[in-house]
Amino acid sequence: MSNTITIFRREFASYFNSPIAYIFIIAFLVLNSGLFMTSFFLGGAADLRGFFGNLPFFLIFFIPAVSMRLWAEDKRLGTFELLMTLPMRARDVMLGKYLAALAFYLVALLGTLPLPIMVSVLGNPDMGALWSGYIGAALLGALYLAVGTFTSGLMRDQISAVILGIMACFVIFLLGIGTVAATIDGWIPGFGSFLQQYLGLSAHYDMMLRGVVSLGDLTYFVGLTVVFLSLNTLWLEGRKY
Amino acid sequence: MIEVRGITKSFGTMLALDDVSFGIGRGEVLGFLGPNGAGKSTTMKIITTFLAADSGSVKVDGIDVLEQPLAVRSRIGYLPENVPLYLDMNVHEYLSFVGRARGLSGSRLDERLDWCVEACGLVTEYKKTIGELSKGYKQRTGLAQALIHDPDILILDEPTSGLDPLQIIGIRDLIKSLAGHKTIIFSTHILQEVSPVTDRVVIINEGRIIADGNVHELAQEAMGSDRVFLGVQQDAATVESELRALNAVEEVHALPTESGCRFEVRGSFAHDLTGELAILATGRGWQLTELHPAPFSLEDTFIALTRRALAGGDQGSRGVA
Repeated sequence: MSNTITIFRREFASYFNSPIAYIFIIAFLVLNSGLFMTSFFLGGAADLRGFFGNLPFFLIFFIPAVSMRLWAEDKRLGTFELLMTLPMRARDVMLGKYLAALAFYLVALLGTLPLPIMVSVLGNPDMGALWSGYIGAALLGALYLAVGTFTSGLMRDQISAVILGIMACFVIFLLGIGTVAATIDGWIPGFGSFLQQYLGLSAHYDMMLRGVVSLGDLTYFVGLTVVFLSLNTLWLEGRKY
Repeated sequence: MIEVRGITKSFGTMLALDDVSFGIGRGEVLGFLGPNGAGKSTTMKIITTFLAADSGSVKVDGIDVLEQPLAVRSRIGYLPENVPLYLDMNVHEYLSFVGRARGLSGSRLDERLDWCVEACGLVTEYKKTIGELSKGYKQRTGLAQALIHDPDILILDEPTSGLDPLQIIGIRDLIKSLAGHKTIIFSTHILQEVSPVTDRVVIINEGRIIADGNVHELAQEAMGSDRVFLGVQQDAATVESELRALNAVEEVHALPTESGCRFEVRGSFAHDLTGELAILATGRGWQLTELHPAPFSLEDTFIALTRRALAGGDQGSRGVA
C-alpha cells in the first residue's frame, strides 16, 4: 500500500509539473461546457443529461491523452527499468500510476461543478440523476483509463499509445450501439446483442444517466476496469521473459 | 555473493547470452568488460531481475532471482546504462522518491539523502531540475539513486560513459571508496577504466565469457610471454647473440635507437627475465641505458583474447576461467 502511495504521489505531481495538465483541464472544461451550453439554452430543461450524454464519445479522445504517458514516458526516459527493479510488485507500481491518472481525471471532472450549481439555480433538477450522472462519469473515466493505461504499456511512444487507446475505447463505445449490435447479429445471430450487453458501454451508462444505479451496471464498469488493469499487470510480469 | 550459472538469453533469433557463468564474492569489485553489444547489459538486467534468463540460474546472496525477485532487488543498487531520471523533478525530489520507493522514511531517509548528495558531489545541484543538469551531474544523480538505500551490492552499467576525464576520475574514486564495503559489478568497454579500480575482470564477447580472473594473470595467459625492454651502449650483434644464449629468453627483437642498441626481449614467466638480463649486463660490463619490464596492458590482453576466442571457438577460450 505504501508503495502504491509513493508511486501515486510522484505520478500525480508529474501531471502538474508540466503545463500540459492545465491545458488538458481547460480544454476539457471549455469543450464540454461549450457543447453542453449550446443545447442547454435551446432545450430549456434543468438537467445535465446533455453533458453526461456527450461524455462517452468525448472521453474516447480525452482519456487516452491523459493515460498515454503512464508507461510510454517511462520507457522513453529509461525510468521503466528503475520502476521494474524497485523492491515492489508490478501490481503496486501499476496501481499507483493508474490511481494518479484517475485522480487527475476526477480533478478535471470536479471542474464541471459550476454546471450542476447553475442548473440548480435556474431550475429544479432531479438531484438523484445528477448524482448518478457523476457516478457514471467517474466510472466511465475509470474504465477508459484502465484501457488507456494498458495500451500505454504496450507501446514504446506516446503517440502510438494514444492512438491505440482511442481505438480500444472506441470499440467498447461502438459495441454498445444498437445499430452496430444489429449488424453483428446479421453476421452471427445473437453475438452482437451478447457483446452489446456484456461489453458495450451505452446499455450500462444510459441507465445511470437516467438516475438508476444498479448493481449490474456497477459490476460492468468495475469488472471491465479490473480486467484491463489485470491485463496490464500480466503484461508487466510477462515482459521479462 | 552473486552466482551466475549457465545463463542463456535470446531476443527473437538473436542469441544475446550463451551459457554465461561467473561468480563474485562479498566485498569484491568486478570489472565487466566487453565490446558494445557483447551482452554486458543483458547480463546485468538478468541479475537485477529486470529480465529473466531463458535457462540457467542467478543467485544473489543465496536467493534465486526468479523465486524471490523483491528480496533480490532490495539488496541491489542498480544504475542502468540509460540513466533512469525523471527530468521534471529536481535532484532532491527524485532521490527522495527513489528512497521512499526503497522503503526509507523519516530521519533515515534524510541521513541517506545527505550522504548520497555529499558522496556524489551533488550539493550545489540539489535544488536544480534534473532536465537542466549537465551530463556529468545527471550521471552522478543516477549513481546517487543506486546508493540511496545503502545496498550491499552495486550494479553499475557503464557508469562513466559520456563523462569528461575529470568526471571519470571522480566516479572512479567513488567506486574505489565503496570497494571493500560493497560488492560491486561495473561494466565498461573502455579498458583503461578497469585497472585503477580493480584487478578482477570478466571479459565477455558475443554473449560468451572469454576470460575471468586477475588482469595480470590474464595478460600472462593471453600473451604467453613476459616482455622486457633493454638498452645497452654496445655492438648490437654481440648483445643479441649473448641474449639469445640465455635460457630464459625466447625472442629478441631489435628496436630503433639513436646510439648503442635497444631490444625487446621476450621470455617465459617462469624466469625472472629482468633479473637475468641485469646479471648478464653487469657480468659483461655493459653500460645500460634502459632496462625495464613492460607488462602487457589490458588492451593487448583484450585484443589477444578476443582474437583467440574468434579463432578457436570454445577451445582454449576458457583457459583461465
